[in-house]
Amino acid sequence: MKNFIWNMHAFFPQILGIFFVLSIGMISQNVMASDNDDDDEPTEDIVLRGDRTCTGCHDEGAESVLTIGKTKHGTVADERAPTCTSCHGKSIRHMDRPEKVPMPSRTFGKNSLNPVEDRNQTCLNCHQGDKQMHWAGSTHANRDVACTSCHQIHTAQDKVRDRITQSEVCFSCHKEQRAQINRPSRHPVREGKVICSDCHNSHGSAGPGMMTRDSINDTCYTCHMEKRGPFVRNHPPVQENCALCHNPHGTTAPNLLKVRSPFLCQECHEPNTHQGSPGTIDGSYRRNLLARGCLNCHTQIHGSNNPEDVRLEDLLQR
Amino acid sequence: MNKSTKKFLQIIYAVFFLLIAETAASTEDENLRRLTKPQSAINFGVGYLANDNARFGQYSGVRNEGPYGTFNFDITKRDENTGTWLKLLGRNLGLQNRDIRFEHTKQGHWSYFIDFSQTPRYEPFTAVTAVTGIGSAHLDVPTSPTTGEPAQLKTERQAISFGMNRVLPGNFEAQFHFRNEEKDGSRIFGRGNRLGPPISGVVGGYEFLPEPINYSTRQFGGTLNYNGKDLQLSGGYYGTMFINKNTALTTTGGSSAGGIYAPNLFSPIALPPDNQSHQLFLSGGYSFNPTTRGTFKAAYTRATQTDSFFPTQFLAPGVGSNLDGRIDTALVQASVTSRPLPKLSVVANIRFEDRDDNTPVLLYNPLAGQLDFNGNRWSGLNHPRSFSTLTSKVEANYTLPMNFRLIGGIEYEHWDRLWQPTFVGHRARTDEISYRAELRRTLSDSVTGSIAYIHSNRFGSPFISTMTATGDPFFNTIAPLNLSDRNRDKIRLSLNWEPIEPLSLQVMVDESFDNYGHRSGSNLGLQNGSARNYSLDAAYTVSENLQAVAWFSRNETFIDQASRNWSPADGSREIWSANLQNIGTSFGVDINGKPTEKLEVGASLSQSFITDKFKQRTSDPATYSVPNISTELSNLKLFARYALRKNLSLHLDYILNRFKTNEWTWNHWTYTDGTRLIQDTSQIVNFIGLSAHYTWQ
Repeated sequence: MKNFIWNMHAFFPQILGIFFVLSIGMISQNVMASDNDDDDEPTEDIVLRGDRTCTGCHDEGAESVLTIGKTKHGTVADERAPTCTSCHGKSIRHMDRPEKVPMPSRTFGKNSLNPVEDRNQTCLNCHQGDKQMHWAGSTHANRDVACTSCHQIHTAQDKVRDRITQSEVCFSCHKEQRAQINRPSRHPVREGKVICSDCHNSHGSAGPGMMTRDSINDTCYTCHMEKRGPFVRNHPPVQENCALCHNPHGTTAPNLLKVRSPFLCQECHEPNTHQGSPGTIDGSYRRNLLARGCLNCHTQIHGSNNPEDVRLEDLLQR
Repeated sequence: MNKSTKKFLQIIYAVFFLLIAETAASTEDENLRRLTKPQSAINFGVGYLANDNARFGQYSGVRNEGPYGTFNFDITKRDENTGTWLKLLGRNLGLQNRDIRFEHTKQGHWSYFIDFSQTPRYEPFTAVTAVTGIGSAHLDVPTSPTTGEPAQLKTERQAISFGMNRVLPGNFEAQFHFRNEEKDGSRIFGRGNRLGPPISGVVGGYEFLPEPINYSTRQFGGTLNYNGKDLQLSGGYYGTMFINKNTALTTTGGSSAGGIYAPNLFSPIALPPDNQSHQLFLSGGYSFNPTTRGTFKAAYTRATQTDSFFPTQFLAPGVGSNLDGRIDTALVQASVTSRPLPKLSVVANIRFEDRDDNTPVLLYNPLAGQLDFNGNRWSGLNHPRSFSTLTSKVEANYTLPMNFRLIGGIEYEHWDRLWQPTFVGHRARTDEISYRAELRRTLSDSVTGSIAYIHSNRFGSPFISTMTATGDPFFNTIAPLNLSDRNRDKIRLSLNWEPIEPLSLQVMVDESFDNYGHRSGSNLGLQNGSARNYSLDAAYTVSENLQAVAWFSRNETFIDQASRNWSPADGSREIWSANLQNIGTSFGVDINGKPTEKLEVGASLSQSFITDKFKQRTSDPATYSVPNISTELSNLKLFARYALRKNLSLHLDYILNRFKTNEWTWNHWTYTDGTRLIQDTSQIVNFIGLSAHYTWQ
């Protein structure tokens, strides 16, 4: 099977070159098609079907509601695309007397007076399946998080769907994690290479902690599959929960460990011999604290597949 | 930058200039078009890094002083007649953490994408080592301490993904995805045994053996979804595969001191084995009526590990050529939410997961029954590990006057674990029950927030004593952190307040307190712990052209634990304790302004001070003391955007980044082979970039 392993270094430029040229070709065709479309007579509706009722007033400025036209919701060729009233309600009183009823039937801003469930149901009417399947009953749903608390509907660049800016949105509530991503041992969250939604499905999941996979470990294995085993020699907490020892959001101890060795190891291991030593940076027991700590000897801390048993393999040393 | 990467970037540059030339001409009904049609952008330029560093560029490769290319693009086109989108996104193409993604979608019909992602990780410590062969599965290790040359350990991930979906008649949709990631490089690893230095007069040692990383990780699957008005279903297959091109790490050389436990005899060393998993799943949701909905997921996973053992003469009789590992996991999860009364909503869910390790149990070490150094005998069997978990929750939410809500809930978690304890205590069953009460206010013009209190209690079956192969009790003094009795109290407060129109304030406080139980007759292990997190955020909108955000966070964790020291001098034992503290203070300020129609400027400052304290209480504080570790991270970003034209602007960016630490992990450590790991404890980085930003539709 190893003969089939792809050599990414060798094929990377060629593969990308091919799909790049293909994509440019298609884009060019599409640009020409769009230019031709511009010759069409403008309709009374500006963006969405039937929006003239609303855009007669709401056509102002750079922050215009019209920018929904840049989004998938504004793609009217898709017959499922909503109208203004699909989300905001018919708002008849608002249209008749806007000076007395300044708000439409349903609004989504921070000062909205519509119940969160009602606002969210508006989105769920179309987005109830797939990744939103487990929204009902999820922690965010139970804590009155509105879809629009995270998503911006009228803009082309929804911050929470962009790998670079997503964490800013999550950190508006999750302050502890905002601090943790600046710890010396961290995932590349700041660089947008590992982002919140790589591990968490904020819409709910069947796993704990809204993990994207069915368990914490299964989520970690998507990038760290070498830790999965099973091994000839297993280290029990490894298989149970990676988060027993690691804090994936960032730590000061190396390798995202919650506490550095030997203190972390001493939270489980019996002090029968050297395991119980206090920390010291000099003297005989510095080997338990310095460098890799206990892992200076017990190197195979996630498990060893060594079938021999002649050099302390059962102690995860080889 | 290697030759192939250069060639790739040249192609990209050429294509983009062609593309811009073609599309810049379109100009009909410009204002409306600008607001309502998708926009594309390209950003290219050059940056200069003024200082070498290890931390700032750890995940981007911007580490060495010199120029760096800036090249990003986001091309989006939509055919208005058909609703067909073409998207091409490129990020950091001039750096090592580049991303490229191509998407083609006919909205409501079909879509597919191809994605490439590259992520380097540079080890922040530089190894000064005489070990050679780094990155390969065979290392040459000096036989005595030898001064070496600086070596930079690094790993790099390169992932290609593609996926497609097709909307089918009858509200069905088919999806398929595949991802292959190659990870190459090396990372810190080693071998050693405790019989070696620094204890004088005994032999052994510790050697630096960088682990070769040459992995392929694959994920793939297909899903068939049904999206009806009331019923949604999603069923399919999810597979994963891990392939390590190296089975074992071998060495030549190394220290021969130490008799049968000499470091040079610790070879070959097993490397992570190939493994794979296959899952079938079905999940769904059904809206019984407008106020009641149920969801579920059922999945069955078979994970296997049958990678061949490395060639060895020391395989016990009856042990095959591989572990023949197999773990079968069944998952069932279900949830119901309902609003039986207009003011009352209820959530109930249950989740059961059974992980059944069916790996054969064999005698891997027939000699295990012989006495070890401490006079104990051990079992030579391998130990598969099975466990199951049952979690359930009921929560009710009642609406009170003035937009208040009262929430109460109970959560229960049950674990069954099958394991034969050897070195560490074990419990076959643990249970944890949590009670939650919360008062929340939403839908207010000025003040919203919540206060919640959670109490949880973990308990379980009697501890199973560890014992040797002869049935003699081993040490039974520690209740492991995931098994011990524990009382936890947690309080959370959040407050959002808009005292005046342009100002919003957000306060969050949470505190938790843990109290751990112990093994009978012992007071060792975790004693108690606590955590406090405070944050204050403020956002002030001075005008449409000037906004400011400021935040402050304080994060503290405290752990008290105890262990027992064993003195090699006289064999006496002393109970000692440690109070471990991690204290972080962070703040940030962001200001963005638009002083003129053509100019945007901004500044972003963030600062973190983190201190780790290791307060040990021993009878010999002179010997056993550990200095605090203090780390300071600062980041200042300044930017200016000047619009030359409506669709062309110049971007000027400046970054000042500082990392300072007194981290001592490697300072007092030299491997037996002479290897040392070093870092610059005060790293200051200046980066300035100038780029052009062009947009078109």
